[in-house]
Amino acid sequence: MIEMRAIGKSFRTDLVQTNALRELNLKINAGEFVSITGPSGSGKTTFLNVTGLLEEFDSGTYILDGSDVSKLSDDKRSDIRNQKIGFIFQSFNLIPDLNVADNVDVPLRYRRMNAAERNRRVAAALERVGLASRSKHLPAQLSGGQQQRVAIARALAGDPRVILADEPTGNLDTTMSLQVMELLEAINAAGTTIVMVTHNPELAVRAHRNVHIIDGRLSENAVPASSSGDSNGFESTTLDQKVIPIREHADARL
Amino acid sequence: MLAYNIRLAGLSFRRNPALTAMMMGAIATGIAAAIITITLYHARSGNPIWWKADKLYAVTMDTRSDDKNERDFSPNPEYPPFQLTHRDAEFLSRSDIPLRKARMFKSSFIVTPTKAGMKPFRRVSRVTSADFFPMFDVPFKFGAAWTRVQDEGPEAVVVLSQDINEKLFNGENSVGKSVTLDGKDFRVIGVLDYWMPQPKFYDLNNSAFDISEGFYIPFGWTVPLEIRSNGNMNCVGKGVKISSFHDLLTADCVWQQFWAEFADQTQRARFQQFVDSYVADQKKLGRFPRPLNNRIVDVDTWMEMNNVVGDDSRMQVALALMFLVVCILNTLGLTLAKFLGAASITGLRRALGAKRKDIVQQHLTEVVLLSFAGGVLGLILAFFGLKGVRALLYTPFVDMNVQQSAEVGRLLTHIDITMVLAALAISIVTGVLAGLYPSWRIGRSPPAAFLKT
Repeated sequence: MIEMRAIGKSFRTDLVQTNALRELNLKINAGEFVSITGPSGSGKTTFLNVTGLLEEFDSGTYILDGSDVSKLSDDKRSDIRNQKIGFIFQSFNLIPDLNVADNVDVPLRYRRMNAAERNRRVAAALERVGLASRSKHLPAQLSGGQQQRVAIARALAGDPRVILADEPTGNLDTTMSLQVMELLEAINAAGTTIVMVTHNPELAVRAHRNVHIIDGRLSENAVPASSSGDSNGFESTTLDQKVIPIREHADARL
Repeated sequence: MLAYNIRLAGLSFRRNPALTAMMMGAIATGIAAAIITITLYHARSGNPIWWKADKLYAVTMDTRSDDKNERDFSPNPEYPPFQLTHRDAEFLSRSDIPLRKARMFKSSFIVTPTKAGMKPFRRVSRVTSADFFPMFDVPFKFGAAWTRVQDEGPEAVVVLSQDINEKLFNGENSVGKSVTLDGKDFRVIGVLDYWMPQPKFYDLNNSAFDISEGFYIPFGWTVPLEIRSNGNMNCVGKGVKISSFHDLLTADCVWQQFWAEFADQTQRARFQQFVDSYVADQKKLGRFPRPLNNRIVDVDTWMEMNNVVGDDSRMQVALALMFLVVCILNTLGLTLAKFLGAASITGLRRALGAKRKDIVQQHLTEVVLLSFAGGVLGLILAFFGLKGVRALLYTPFVDMNVQQSAEVGRLLTHIDITMVLAALAISIVTGVLAGLYPSWRIGRSPPAAFLKT
């Protein structure tokens, strides 16, 4: 489903170049549930952005669902995001002035589906996450767990090949976290590939496979530290940074 | 997608009503200022008889002496005087080249009403030829104009304006009734329907924005009744003495206007030749010492020569348009701030599959709708603004009563359908101009740039 070969991604300011991903190689099969862990600043979010075609990368090859998506136009990338990828975010990212049904409807609008088909899909997705009765509610009228379930319904409505979840339980309490996790597992059991970034070792181990990122590189099946490091159980790190010499800096601006 | 984008625009307005109101206010103010100045300019510069633009011509001849120190009779020393002497107008009126022709001047008469309780009053009038009415398409409510024969007679007939007929005869059909002007009885032969061309193109000497006359009597009465002009009169040479009406008729004093209607340009060219030949003959008699400068000009040129629309009006329009540009730039800044404020939602939409063009269309729809609303608000502001202008500037005109000056003011400050459509079109263009860059900018942003993860 996802195959990355030697993916490199760096960010450059006037004075500093940060290598967020370095020669990253990863293969995720269809139907897998992969958790991504790593210390803060290790490149997890950049990895997820690149995987979700939200950001371009500097080098390497990315094969998604059998197609090379490394050098696609912005419109093609939008199409793939819309049709093959579902996103779940830590902060839910629901549009506050749209009701639940309209939030779920957003990706379908950009697929130019007719109203009947959109309504059918929205209803089915909300039914699946147990929020059919809340379709007219605004996000602010829902609990955090319910909001995240709306976000999951939004990701599901487009019937994606892969769901990318960035800390989906990061803003939820333990009970709600478990509910969301169970929901993701059920979705995965139905055949959707899931890639989940998490700081939570207990959730990470529930995935089929755990991939650990340190300094923009992968270290598969890493064992999370249990008591040392940051509060989430992983040691902290900083990405490889180098100060650009004045001359290189000047060249970079040319 | 358009309906969806309109709905999103509505939600966006509700999300930030204060900013939305500021943007709408900026656009409305700019459009109102533009509409007010353009309306005034349009009213001042519009040809009130545009359908005869290539038919009607004012005739002028350069009667001036060769004394370079002589005071000019017109705003531009290049132009000949805008009026003719009696004898020159008399000669031109004998030509049968024009389809129609009329000489005229403004005068005033004391009217002695027969209506009980009404005191005599003075009213501006026009002494003119029979062709005046068909030539200027003057509408009649009752009766008709006099004929050329009645003009030459002359017969004691008079045409009344609508308001005078209202005043003297309560608006009833007064044809056949008698009116006493300066002690002489005239029989009413016709009553005009409402007619008040603005600018009053056929006589711009005293004011371009003046009421129409109350009485029209045949030109043939000029000499028998020794009717003098109540408008401008300039005489060639220094120290010219006009001690009798006969002196006025024979002196090189200009006080009559002359208009001609031509069927086509060939006819006009023939008349130009006729006028030039006449002047050439007169030169032999010692008149018209300056080089040939006889101008036969259409209404638009005539109004331009008379400086009906001055540079100050053009400057006002330019300033108003510059102000509109400032408002557009202001709206552009506010739009950019608003869009960037909601950039996280845009980032989310991009993540969920919106293309750049979807984002641009969505935001552009919002700005255009807002501008359209601003345009409607601007029209309302312009309506009240023009009412204010009317109250401040056009009450009262010289020689007008309050009602009449209000009527001229209404004509000058009237917003017509063209102006309404223009305002709405300007508002949409404003929206596109103010929204294009912010929409493009927000659409170009990479999805991850503003996405909250």
